Amino acid sequence: MKQVIDEPPPFLGSWRRIYILVILYLVTLITAFWFFGKAWSS
Amino acid sequence: MRPLDWAVMVLTLTAIISYGLWRARGAATTDSYLRAGKTMPWYAMALSIMATQASAITFISTTGQGYVDGMRFVQFYFGLPLAMIVVCLTAVPIFHRANVYTAYEYLEKRFDAKTRTLVSIIFLIQRGLAVGLALAAPAIVLTVLLGWPDQITTLVMGVIVITYTVLGGVKAITWTDFQQMLIMMAGLGTALIMAINLLPEGIGLTGALTVAGAAGKLNPVTTDFSWTDRYNIWSGLFGGMFLALSYFGCDQSQVQRYLTGSSITQSRLSLLFNAVAKIPMQFLILLTGTVVFAFFTFIQPPLLFHPGDMAKLKADPAYPALQQKFDNAFRQRHESAAKMVHGEPTREEFKSAQRDIDDTRKQAAKITGGNDTNYIFLHFVTNYLPPGIVGLVIAAILGAAMSVISGEVNSLATVSVIDIYKRLLRPVAEDGHYLWVSRAFTAFWGVYAVVTAQFAKNLGSLVEAVNLLGSFFYGGILGVFALAMYFPKVGANGAFIGVLAGEAAIFALHFTGAASFLWYNVAGCIVVILTGNLVSRLTARTP
Repeated sequence: MKQVIDEPPPFLGSWRRIYILVILYLVTLITAFWFFGKAWSS
Repeated sequence: MRPLDWAVMVLTLTAIISYGLWRARGAATTDSYLRAGKTMPWYAMALSIMATQASAITFISTTGQGYVDGMRFVQFYFGLPLAMIVVCLTAVPIFHRANVYTAYEYLEKRFDAKTRTLVSIIFLIQRGLAVGLALAAPAIVLTVLLGWPDQITTLVMGVIVITYTVLGGVKAITWTDFQQMLIMMAGLGTALIMAINLLPEGIGLTGALTVAGAAGKLNPVTTDFSWTDRYNIWSGLFGGMFLALSYFGCDQSQVQRYLTGSSITQSRLSLLFNAVAKIPMQFLILLTGTVVFAFFTFIQPPLLFHPGDMAKLKADPAYPALQQKFDNAFRQRHESAAKMVHGEPTREEFKSAQRDIDDTRKQAAKITGGNDTNYIFLHFVTNYLPPGIVGLVIAAILGAAMSVISGEVNSLATVSVIDIYKRLLRPVAEDGHYLWVSRAFTAFWGVYAVVTAQFAKNLGSLVEAVNLLGSFFYGGILGVFALAMYFPKVGANGAFIGVLAGEAAIFALHFTGAASFLWYNVAGCIVVILTGNLVSRLTARTP
């Protein structure tokens, strides 16, 4: 195995925080879509 | 197409390909040809990954899907961000540290040569079948637009792709993809804005959404669960996640994109960009399809969008009655939609007319034996968009097609060279020899794509056909990578037998019709993991 340095991300300080942000983004997106569907289908 | 459209299309495509070849100049080693010398920045990889997924099928078929089935197809992508996180946590650092050209090289480091070869062959079969489909979709475009025979259209597309892929390798592909993705976004945005602008006066986006909503098209989240329903939130989150995990974690056509990254961080950022951008992009494409649906609520569409099928239908004795029924239903739908947009309670009349239209179209499709989903957006573009814009949208569709085909051809060539030729046939040779063989395999797979595209027509919605095909093989491949990365006690024989058992389970599921294709990956992966662990336990030697 080659030695490869695992650098921190360029923002938010850690990869863990970025992954949490992506999950929150997904939840927000699905919720927004659900409301969008409800608003126009009723 | 008018002269201005031709000029816009030819200039756009020439500029994209020239730029890609210029950026790839000096690819004189196998490493620079197949891995871009690991120098690519995250934004180039990010758009290249998106472009490799966003095929002509995305434009042609997904908009048609939005028109026919509404927006619920977007749920198919809900699992993608979760999969990207898993790939960033595991596959990206593992592949970078293993310093591999292909994902399957890692399997030999972890298991043995036979597991690597088996999975490489599964990839070559699966991706080899899909590359024909990817070329068939733009052939549909050119056939409708130019009236050329399919053989000529696939040949022209194939020659362009083969030329820049053979000459420039992965670097040319990545930079060409980068440009193509920008053109795709411009084409998509323009088509959506034009579709809204072309709606009759007083309708606008709000009116279009009211009409599409009443027809049940605005359904981006459906929570009802069924094993056989293709698109709901559950199959999207779980089945979609497994499919995306297989695609981004184990499919060389995607892995090769982020293996060109200069560091783990650059590769991770490119994948996370996709995690964030992919769902909104699909939403907008489907929304374009539903706006086109609203447009054809007020402007009468043909009974069938496929010109060939329509001609066939006109020759049938049942045609006059069907057309009469369609005309009446359209009038009723038009009137009730116009009243509904202005607040009158005509929703039930509208729904009833919509049902009549759907029934008539189904009867017509039964007579012709065809499926016109892939022709809906093309009919709209070529008949209603102004000169110049048509050329831009067609350039975007062709650019999308070329990005997918070039990526697939390049990955097929890489696996053929690294995992088969170099590993099994000629392990020792000069780098120049492998570079020459890489170019030869690229040309071979390009020609193969042109030939197989002839058999890939009339498969219904092409986007579903591609995803269905992938689902036959992805579960098995994902399972063996999961064994490699998460089950250190599982040995080579367990992994090998596990893959065979997983594939058998997937085909059994398909032929019994027990579940929708999105669940094949989940089932296949679980069977591989269970079988791999079981075989390893049974065959473990006692000290």
